[in-house]
Amino acid sequence: MSTHFLNIVWVALMVATVLTWFIGKTGYVDTGGAAAVVAMLLISAVKGWLIVQDFMALRRVKFLWRALVLGWLLLTLALILLAYWLGLK
Amino acid sequence: MTTPSASAAHADGHKLHPYPPGDLAIWVFILAELSAFFVLFAAYAFTRLKHLELFNAMQRTLDVDAGMINTLLLITGSWCVARAVAAVKRNRVRTSAHWLLAAILSGMGFLVVKYFEYGAKFALGINLDTNLFYTFYIALTMFHAMHVVLGMSILAIIWKKAMAGGYSAHDHRGIETGASYWHMVDLVWIILFPLVYVMR
Repeated sequence: MSTHFLNIVWVALMVATVLTWFIGKTGYVDTGGAAAVVAMLLISAVKGWLIVQDFMALRRVKFLWRALVLGWLLLTLALILLAYWLGLK
Repeated sequence: MTTPSASAAHADGHKLHPYPPGDLAIWVFILAELSAFFVLFAAYAFTRLKHLELFNAMQRTLDVDAGMINTLLLITGSWCVARAVAAVKRNRVRTSAHWLLAAILSGMGFLVVKYFEYGAKFALGINLDTNLFYTFYIALTMFHAMHVVLGMSILAIIWKKAMAGGYSAHDHRGIETGASYWHMVDLVWIILFPLVYVMR
């Protein structure tokens, strides 16, 4: 993993964090409904994916290990999406 | 419990390593920790369903700026740890130690922000019994903060060994082990921040 690529991942994660904060601060979280929830969960999915693949360095590890951690990420976010979707109904 | 060297398997650019970086035991621990947080996140999300108005109103009383700053600090700490691993693989052990120290400082920054955040809440008389939202907020964030402290302790141990020249390009499993745990602490917060501080 090149250090330059690690720097790019870090910047992307920082920008994505500010984006989530922005959704909360601007009130879009209150007016956006399901779109705001989906947007924040998608941002979390991308951030988690980058951390697992590039910081944890599982990108070049056999599928089972990546599946366990990425599966945890996606399952957790899917369950949260389900709970919030039920709350919006 | 140890695994073959990751660097050896990565010598072939396209070959996938059979094991994740670091000691296999830490990955058993990481998966157990992730399972615990999965249950806690699910409990929060589905308990919120039954108390929507309370959770939405109470969430507005949280300091979302502090939550964001802490997210930036943990991400920066993770980046520093990833740079430490990259440095030791190039046999730059002293540089690796400096990156580890930067990660520890990021963790300290996280705890300082948390100290002031909790201080502001406790000054208002808020505690675990205030209401269901604050029970979750305090339990979830304190449970996570304990993991930050443990992660920092692990990083401090490997930093000390790195400063003493105890790692090299061929022997850096200890740094990878600590790094993997620290990234898990970061990964959990990536979900905790939007879930508890922002989403409603």
